[in-house]
Amino acid sequence: MTNLEKYNKAFMEALGITEDKLAGLEYNTIPEWDSVGHMQLIAAIEDAFDIMIDTDDIIDLSSYEKGKELIAKYEVEL
Amino acid sequence: MSRILEGKNAVITGARQGIGRAIAEAYAENGCGLWVCSRTDDEAFRKDMKELSEKYGVDIRTIFFDMMKEDEIKSAAKEILGSKIPVDILVNNAGATCRSLFQMTSMKTLRDVFEVDFFGPYLFTQLLLRAMMKCSSASIINIVSTAGLDANAGRSAYGSAKAALACFTRVLSAELGTKNIRVNAIAPGVTQTSLLTYDEEQLAEIVADSAQGVIGQPEDIAGSALFLASDSSSFVTGQIIRVDGFVL
Ligand SMILES: NC(=O)c1ccc[n+]([C@@H]2O[C@H](COP(=O)([O-])OP(=O)(O)OC[C@H]3O[C@@H](n4cnc5c(N)ncnc54)[C@H](OP(=O)(O)O)[C@@H]3O)[C@@H](O)[C@H]2O)c1
Repeated sequence: MTNLEKYNKAFMEALGITEDKLAGLEYNTIPEWDSVGHMQLIAAIEDAFDIMIDTDDIIDLSSYEKGKELIAKYEVEL
Repeated sequence: MSRILEGKNAVITGARQGIGRAIAEAYAENGCGLWVCSRTDDEAFRKDMKELSEKYGVDIRTIFFDMMKEDEIKSAAKEILGSKIPVDILVNNAGATCRSLFQMTSMKTLRDVFEVDFFGPYLFTQLLLRAMMKCSSASIINIVSTAGLDANAGRSAYGSAKAALACFTRVLSAELGTKNIRVNAIAPGVTQTSLLTYDEEQLAEIVADSAQGVIGQPEDIAGSALFLASDSSSFVTGQIIRVDGFVL
């Protein structure tokens, strides 16, 4: 599985959504991505790449695209 | 008798002494694996915890950090999360007290008290929550204080910090209820530990005002913490439980 596939899978499993919903997806624009969904998403991304995301980055991870930028900081290339 | 926390794992801050130590023993006695936190790494604490581990046949791991230091809190959380041991129970017990009249309370004192009694537990919970969300059910227990519920002169800093932690408890319980993570607080009254700052005369007055006529022991608080950690309290969340022998 590529890193992008892992990243997408984390979103889909944590938020219970399908792949076609990912592009352009932003925090709090669907019921599944509320504050609790956000923590599930963080846990799923951390598990997928075996990283621990800093608190500031957790707050900054406000969209599917922004998340891609942020995890590059943890040496994950998508 | 069955061990009601068998198979669970808890993280307890301020576990070296007083209420935290009593909670650690109550949990270990009931089959719970533990991460016990303290500020200082020394032989006395490691030995005490090793004895507890052997006495009750549970895994106990020590971890050291200062609630006033964000980087230390983060490293500790990283170590706990990195172990992949589930975190079913978190007890935010570490706390610092302060007694000074409002006009005599410096901003530095206020900030220091808030660091230990509110900001530290807030961050630590935020970090450990990701592990707790993976458990089928979990329990967070914050040790607040009756000083955060009542209006006692000299408690503007400590009481406000504990009131903040009590409010955080209720808000978090609302946010996490559907995820089967329960969040409750215990508000101990005057309890016999090194934190006690009353002189004998003041203590006598407090005892006289209490329905039970005694001051609390750490084990009295630990009993409630055991209940809140166990499945016996599965429908209890968002509560601030006074454990103070009913101060009249
Ligand atoms: N005793 C009472 O009458 C009473 C009443 C109401 C509420 N409480 C609350 O009960 C909790 C436990 O207090 P206690 O009475 O058992 O007092 P205690 O015996 O003095 O224990 C306090 C614990 O907090 C830890 N701690 C203090 N500052 C810390 C820091 N900066 N970083 C990390 N840990 C720190 C200490 O850790 P180290 O041992 O590692 O130094 C210690 O083990 C506190 O939250 C307190 O506010 C107590």
